[in-house]
Amino acid sequence: MENKDPPNGESAHHHQLTKKPRLTRFITESEIREEFAHHQSGIARINNGSFGSCPGSVLAAQRKWQLKFLQQPDDFYFNTLRKGILHSRTLVKDLINADDVDEVSLVDNATTAAAIVLQQIGRSFADGKFHENDAVLMLHCAYEAVKKSMQAYVTRTGGSVIEVQLPFPVNSDEEIIAEFRKGLEKGKASGRKVRLAIIDHITSMPCVVTPVRELVKICREEGVDQVFVDAAHALGSVKVDVKEIGADFYASNLHKWFFCPPSVAFLYCKKTSSSSDVHHPVVSHEYGNGLPIESAWIGTRDYSSQLVVPSALEFVNRFEGGLDGIMNRNHEKIVEVGKMLAESWGTNLGAPPEMCAGMIMVSLPSRLRVMSQDDALRLRSHLRSNYGVEVPIHYQAPRKNGEAAVKDKDGFIMAYARISHQVYNTFEDYCKLRDAIYQLLDDPQISKKLFAE
Amino acid sequence: MSTKHYFNSSSVSSSSSTTTAFLYELSSPLLPLISTPMATHNRQNHTLNGDHCHSTIPITKRPKLSSPSPTSFITHSQIQSEFSHHDLSVARINNGSFGSCPQSVISAQQRWQTQFLRQPDHFYYNQLKPGILHSRSIVKSLINADQVDEVSLVDNATTAAAIVLQKSAWSFSEGRYNKGDVAVMLHYAYGAVKKSVEAYVTRAGGHVIEVQLPFPVKSKEEIITEFRKALEKGKENGKKVRLAVIDHVTSMPSVVIPVKELVKICREEGVDQVFVDAAHGIGCVDVDMKEIGADFYTSNLHKWFFSPPSVAFLYSRKSNDKGNDDLHHPVVSHEYGNGLALESAWIGTRDYSAQLVVPSVLEFINRFPGGIDGIKKRNHEAVVEMGEMLVKAWGTHLGCPPEMCGSMIMVGLPACLRISSESDALKLRTHLRNNFGVEVPIYFRAPKDGEVDPITGYARISHQVYNKVEDYYKFRDAVNKIVSDGITCACLPN
Repeated sequence: MENKDPPNGESAHHHQLTKKPRLTRFITESEIREEFAHHQSGIARINNGSFGSCPGSVLAAQRKWQLKFLQQPDDFYFNTLRKGILHSRTLVKDLINADDVDEVSLVDNATTAAAIVLQQIGRSFADGKFHENDAVLMLHCAYEAVKKSMQAYVTRTGGSVIEVQLPFPVNSDEEIIAEFRKGLEKGKASGRKVRLAIIDHITSMPCVVTPVRELVKICREEGVDQVFVDAAHALGSVKVDVKEIGADFYASNLHKWFFCPPSVAFLYCKKTSSSSDVHHPVVSHEYGNGLPIESAWIGTRDYSSQLVVPSALEFVNRFEGGLDGIMNRNHEKIVEVGKMLAESWGTNLGAPPEMCAGMIMVSLPSRLRVMSQDDALRLRSHLRSNYGVEVPIHYQAPRKNGEAAVKDKDGFIMAYARISHQVYNTFEDYCKLRDAIYQLLDDPQISKKLFAE
Repeated sequence: MSTKHYFNSSSVSSSSSTTTAFLYELSSPLLPLISTPMATHNRQNHTLNGDHCHSTIPITKRPKLSSPSPTSFITHSQIQSEFSHHDLSVARINNGSFGSCPQSVISAQQRWQTQFLRQPDHFYYNQLKPGILHSRSIVKSLINADQVDEVSLVDNATTAAAIVLQKSAWSFSEGRYNKGDVAVMLHYAYGAVKKSVEAYVTRAGGHVIEVQLPFPVKSKEEIITEFRKALEKGKENGKKVRLAVIDHVTSMPSVVIPVKELVKICREEGVDQVFVDAAHGIGCVDVDMKEIGADFYTSNLHKWFFSPPSVAFLYSRKSNDKGNDDLHHPVVSHEYGNGLALESAWIGTRDYSAQLVVPSVLEFINRFPGGIDGIKKRNHEAVVEMGEMLVKAWGTHLGCPPEMCGSMIMVGLPACLRISSESDALKLRTHLRNNFGVEVPIYFRAPKDGEVDPITGYARISHQVYNKVEDYYKFRDAVNKIVSDGITCACLPN
C-alpha cells in the first residue's frame, strides 16, 4: 500500500539522538517485505495487537548486543550495559515528551509496570497509609493480567476495587466519560477516598481508544490520589505526550507497535513525592537508587531488547513521516478495511473511526452463532488452523434491561474481530478473513463443527 | 602437573582428534540419563479448542538412555569451537559471575526465538506451555525432586529470592508472623539478596540476624558453630526464627557451605522455613533436593549449567504444607493462583527461549563423560590444582580447604599489592582486565586487629570446560609483573 498521507509537520525524529539517517529515500515495499520475511508465509497476520512484530534489522541489532555480552560479560556489565540502557531511556523520554530521563524506566512489559504500581498501592494499604476499603478504580474490561494484579495487591491488602463499565459498542467519548463519572461517584461513596484510577489508553478487548486526557482531568477534579494509565498498545499507535495526558504513571509496551523485540516497555513516573516509593519487585543491588536504576539491573539476564531502542527508532525513521506517518497510515488502512469487512458481512464497527488507532473492532455476522467466550476462542482456532487467518475474536454479551442490542439482518450481534494493521500487512490479508467468514456462513454444518464440543 | 584430571590440559597431545587423546577418570558410573515422556508432550492438547500441536518446534531427540561410547564424547577441538565466541584474548577465569553458554545451545535458543517471531499466537497457544513443562521435567529429574509441580522456572536466583521473601513479607504484614520475629541469613549473603531481605522482610516488620562467617575458613565446623550461635540469638526474648536463608556456595568470598547439616539444625531448632540460595548450585555442587531437605531451593542454570542468560529454577517442597500457598511470582498475570510454576511460565509477553532450551543443554552436557557429574568433578580438580599452583607461585594461601570448594576457589594475593578497600579490589580487577587481559573478581578481606602483614585480597578463580592452563599462567604472570614493578593499588587509576 502506497504512502498516501501528506507529510506530518511534527514528528518524533527531530528528537532522535542516533546518527542522521544515511538514506536519502524512504523504505520501499520490497524492503518492508524483506524486513518481515521471517513471518510465517501463508498466514493473514492481522493481530499485531497481541504480540507485536519486529523487523529483521532490529533483530540483527539485537543479536549483536547478545553476542557482545556472551563474548565478555564482565566487560559488558561494567562498561557497556548502563550506558546502553540510559541511551534507550533518553530516546523514550524524547518520544513521550517527559521532562526528565529520571522519570523513565524500562521494564519487560506493561504487566510488569502494573505490578510495580500496584505493589506500591498494596504497601500503602498494608502500612495503614490508606484506609481499609479505600477504592481503586479500573475499567471492567481492563486487561485480565491487570485485574489479577489488583487481586494480588489491592484486594488482598484491604482495598476496594470499583469497576467502571465501558460501553460497547460505543459511539462517542461522552459515553465513556459518563460511565467513568458514575464509577468515580461509586468509588467515593461512604466517604472513602479513591486512591488510584487505572485507565487504559487503548483497551484490549474490546478495543477502543479512550478519552484519556479528559478522564485524567476528571480524576484530578474529583480528588483521586493517583492515576495510572495502562497504555500497553499506545506507543506507535497513538500520540503519546505524558505531560499533556498528565497521569502520575504511564506505561506502554515497545514490542507491540514500536518494532522492538520481545520484550520491552517503559514506565513513566511523574516526579512527585510518591514516585520515590515505587520499586522493581525483583530486588537487586540497586534497590533504593530509583526505579530506572533498579530496573536496569535485576540480576543476570538478557537486556538486549531494552538496548535496541535506538535501532527501532532508526527503522521507524526510514518511513515517510517517521512514527507519525506510520501511525496515520495504519489508522487509515484499518478504518478502510474495517468498513470493507462490515459492508461485506452486513455488520458494523464497534466504535467510530476517531476512537480507533491501528486496530478496529468489526462485528461478525450473527449467523455464526458465537454465544460465549469459549465459542469465540474456538472460532479463532478454527480460522487459524483451517483458513490461515490469525485474528482475536471478542464475545460481547448482550446488554441487559432491554437496551437496544446491536443486530444484523439475522439476529443479535455478539462477536467482534479485532483486526490490526501494521506496515507489513496487505489488503489481501483482510480479504482472506472476509472470504473465510463467507465460507463458514455457507457451511450448513458450521455450528456443529465449531461449537459442538 | 598432573594431566589425569581434566580435558584440556596443554600437555595432552592435541594432534589427535579422537577422544582417546584425553585422559579422564570415571570414578562414578555415568549419571543415569534422563528419560522424560517428551514424545507425548507435543501431541498433547494444550489449547482450549481442539487445535493440534504442530510439531514445528525443534524437538531434541529423546535423551539417550545408554551411555555413549568413548569415541562419541565431545573432543577438545569441539569444545573450543563451542566456545569460540568468547573473547579469546581474555583469560576468562570468572565463570562464576555470568556463566557461559556453548554455541550449540545458542543456536537452539535462536530457533525457539524464531518460532515465536514467525507466528507468535500459534507459539503462545500451542508450543510455549509444553516446552516449559518439558524443561521443568528435566530439572525435576536432575535435582531429585518428587514432583514436577515443585519446580518453577524463573529468570535468576535474584527473582527466586524475591518470590520467597515476598511470601515471608505477607506473613509478617498479615499477622501470621509477629513483628520482631527473625530471619537469619549469612553475613556473606549475596548483595542483591540482602537488599531483597531489607525490601521485603525488614520492611514488613521482620528482624534480620546475620551469621558471621570466618574467612579464611578452615573447616565446616567453624560455619556450623557460628550458625548455631545466630539461631540462639534469633530465639531470644521469645521470638521465633521464621526463615533461614542459607547460601549453598557463597559468592564473595566463595565457600561451599555445609547446607545439609545446617538444614538439619534448622529443623532441630524449630526454624519455620529454610531457603537455600544456590545461585552457583547446579553444575558446581551436588544438588539433591531430598538429601538437602530445604523448603525452598534456587539455582541459576546459566552459571554452571550452560544455559543462556538467563534461567533459574525455584524448587518448593510439596510436603511442606505451608510452603506453597502464597508463593507467587511478583509479576502477576493471567495464571495468578494456579501455582507458582504456571504463574512463572507466563508473566506477560517476553522471550522465554532461555527457559525452553534446557533439553538442548542436557544434550550438550551428555556429550561429556560422566555428564554433569563428570564435568563438576573435573572442574573441581582443575580449579584446586590451579589454585595451589598460584598460591605456591605467589607465596600466599587459599581461602578455604579444597573440600570446601566447588568449581571456584579463593586464592590469596600478595600482601604487597596493598589492597586496602573494596574500591582497591575493583581497581585491581579493572587493571588486570585492561592491561593484562585477565578477567577475575577480587575480594577485599578487611584485616583483623593484631594480624601482621595479612593477606587482604583474594582472587576468586573459576574453572569451566573451556578453560586452559594458560589462562591461569597468564594470571600468575600478570600478578608477578605488577609486584615486580612495585605497583600497589594506590598507584592504580580509579
